[in-house]
Amino acid sequence: MAMEVDKIQTGMGFPHWNPVLRRFVADAPFFASGNIERELLAKQVALDLTEDEKHHIRNMEDEESSEVFCSIVGCGARLKSLDNFEDHYHARHTASCSVCSRVYPTSRLLSLHISEAHDSFFQAKVARGFAMYECLVEGCGVKLKTYKSRQQHLVDKHKFPSSFEFFKKAQPSKKQRQKVQYKQASHKTEEVSTAMQVEEETLDNIITAVSKLSTSDSPSSISFGRRHTHGFSFIPRAVQRERRSEFSASQTKG
Amino acid sequence: MEHTRSQLSRNLSKETEMDLLKRKSAIKISPFSNTSQFLPARIKKSLPTPIVYTSTGAATMADEALTPQKRDPIKSSVGNVAAQRRRQQAVTVRKERRDALVRTKRLCRVGVNVDDADVPVDGEMMIDEEQSILEAQTLKAVEELKLALAYQGKGATQKRVSALRELRRLLSKSEFPPVEAALEAEAMPILVQCLSFGSPDEQLLEASWCLTNIAAGKPEETKALLPALPLLIGHLGEKSSLPVAEQCAWALGNVAGEEEELRNVLLSQGALLPLARMILPNKGSTVRTAAWALSNLIKGPDPKAATDLIRIDGVLDAILRHLKRADEELATEVAWIVVYLTALSNYATSVLARSDILQILVERLASSSSYQLLIPVLRSLGNLVAGDSYVINNVLVAGSEITVNIIQALVKCLGSEHRVLKKEASWALSNIAAGSFEHKLLIQSSEAVPLLLRLFSTAPFDVRKEVAYVIGNLCVAPSEGSGKPNVIVEHLVALVGGGCLAGFVDLVRSADIEAARLGLQFMELVLRGMPNGEGPKLVEGEDGIDAMERFQFHENDELRSMANELVDKYFVGLKFETGWTSINAAIYLSAYCISMTCFDRE
Repeated sequence: MAMEVDKIQTGMGFPHWNPVLRRFVADAPFFASGNIERELLAKQVALDLTEDEKHHIRNMEDEESSEVFCSIVGCGARLKSLDNFEDHYHARHTASCSVCSRVYPTSRLLSLHISEAHDSFFQAKVARGFAMYECLVEGCGVKLKTYKSRQQHLVDKHKFPSSFEFFKKAQPSKKQRQKVQYKQASHKTEEVSTAMQVEEETLDNIITAVSKLSTSDSPSSISFGRRHTHGFSFIPRAVQRERRSEFSASQTKG
Repeated sequence: MEHTRSQLSRNLSKETEMDLLKRKSAIKISPFSNTSQFLPARIKKSLPTPIVYTSTGAATMADEALTPQKRDPIKSSVGNVAAQRRRQQAVTVRKERRDALVRTKRLCRVGVNVDDADVPVDGEMMIDEEQSILEAQTLKAVEELKLALAYQGKGATQKRVSALRELRRLLSKSEFPPVEAALEAEAMPILVQCLSFGSPDEQLLEASWCLTNIAAGKPEETKALLPALPLLIGHLGEKSSLPVAEQCAWALGNVAGEEEELRNVLLSQGALLPLARMILPNKGSTVRTAAWALSNLIKGPDPKAATDLIRIDGVLDAILRHLKRADEELATEVAWIVVYLTALSNYATSVLARSDILQILVERLASSSSYQLLIPVLRSLGNLVAGDSYVINNVLVAGSEITVNIIQALVKCLGSEHRVLKKEASWALSNIAAGSFEHKLLIQSSEAVPLLLRLFSTAPFDVRKEVAYVIGNLCVAPSEGSGKPNVIVEHLVALVGGGCLAGFVDLVRSADIEAARLGLQFMELVLRGMPNGEGPKLVEGEDGIDAMERFQFHENDELRSMANELVDKYFVGLKFETGWTSINAAIYLSAYCISMTCFDRE
């Protein structure tokens, strides 16, 4: 690849922008479109090429070189152009709950969330003792009776961190965030600090646990930041009832 | 015969697009020119004087010139219908056609002698029947040639030349030349025979013309010329008449343009030196054809030919001379030689860097409006700037006139309509912007910036990527050893103020790894370098956080950790408003990744 931006070995490992000369070899793809132009222009009169045809030929070159693969883990979809990639990404990798705006990476997780968090019928069945909480891992098929037992199953069978929480705090959209931001600035800061105090421990656990996670796709180089100053806790409502209730009011504003 | 016919006959519906392409034609004086010297189909150019050759047969040549070319009666009725059909077919441009078109080989349809009245006058597309007639005629012509060669008596030369001429005409018609038919009829050994040293010039001319067009076709057809190569090379010598040398150079150019193997054969047979000598004179179509052939010969990927070429006595001088003074057509072909010299050979690059070539190239870039010329000139400049730090450090010193001029000329290219010019100019500019602080200042204060900002939001992706490099390079000081390079705050503020951040977030979202990396790197600059801690707010304002969120599920380790680092450092726990933490990331990733590993993917 032509890019030679250096990786500067700071503590963080972030490869900062470093201006360097970039040189290309004679047959580099970078030069391909110019080479094609050379031939198009040289032969256009001899071969009576119309503007239309030249346009087509240039576009064909574009199509060939612009093929991309979706790099989202597990996807591998092949797309004709970068524009198509945007569409694909929005279609396949952003599933958001219309009720509370939480975002999930697959539609299955989204639908599990919707059932568990917004469906009273679901809650009714839970109350009657049916095993409604499905295992999050697609294909496992196990169903448990309580949120916590499902949690335990994930930890035991699928090696999830013990403080993993599926039902997490709302992710308001940017607009909503701004609305909330302007209207409730003071409220929020208060809430945040309390949240932070209470959940520090939980967060700690999650971080350590997740960083120990390893799957074939999850790289060990991921670091999920520092231990202490993270903002949220992610406690499902069922569990929340046992704690202070200051959260719920502002959180349901999603 | 039936079998041959069905084999060889090109049915309109079955023919490849490449064949269709060969049918298309316009009458012009020289295939190299892009100026439309278009001759309508039925008008023949009238001759002031007939061609005079140095060898025998001159008289006959002159006579020949005055007789009208025989015309097939069927063709004249095809007319517009054929043209229409051609257009319809041409709408579906398929890969073979494009490949055929963008091959670096050139069919010779009009002879190297401009005064040659023997101009093929039909521009019409042949219909199916005619094609098989053409093939039959070709077979016949080859047989005639064989007979003529066997004949030893009086007028033998004339017989040979006539037979050759007939074959040549069949191979130069505007419809696709019946190369396959000719080769199947075993024309090659005969043509080789006709090339023997001491043969009359017209014979050499006609034979090499035939070979030129055989070599312009499919790969296997080009390779068929192998037996002829030493002879073709031999006729490049200074003792050969110019038209003969030129036609042989053309044939060799087609062979060289086919593939590396053939280039190596030609080079080991000693084609470089005689071809190089042909570009030393000041002008003439021979110089131009030879320059084109030379560019095909040295294109590598082995740099040896390029290095050898620049070492040949007189070549450097000729290159500079032509770039400075020649007409645009010749300058174009010479510029392509420079492109390959600078892209392949470090030695050639350093020799050229220390010559006047930069000055000359900048002048051409500034003054010409021909895309044909601008493209190789621009690329040569880009190669020189990128290839030898001598250029940035010693030639394009900040403060000297040439530096101001080159930036101006590059700005002109940025403003052009042509995508290749915009892209490669941005690339060249990015390398200048990678220079000293003064270089960055110069560019920042030039007309480049508003243009770049506009391009960054409107141009196609490949252009935007290069523009990204310019902008980023402008914002970062030259590195001083270890530690992260410093941000040039003034430039960063100006460029971000000009709205470039959105473009970088776009790059982060794209599927292109290199572009995403660039985007994240620039975001880091903004987050780190914008004064008063404005960075995070600005990034969030452009949905930068959303963009970085994508990398949580991204396969690329490096990008994933880069995004995580930025978010952790600048967005976690600072403000509730930002709404995104790495905890989310942890949960997303673990759920997603774990679900992926537990069973087969589709």
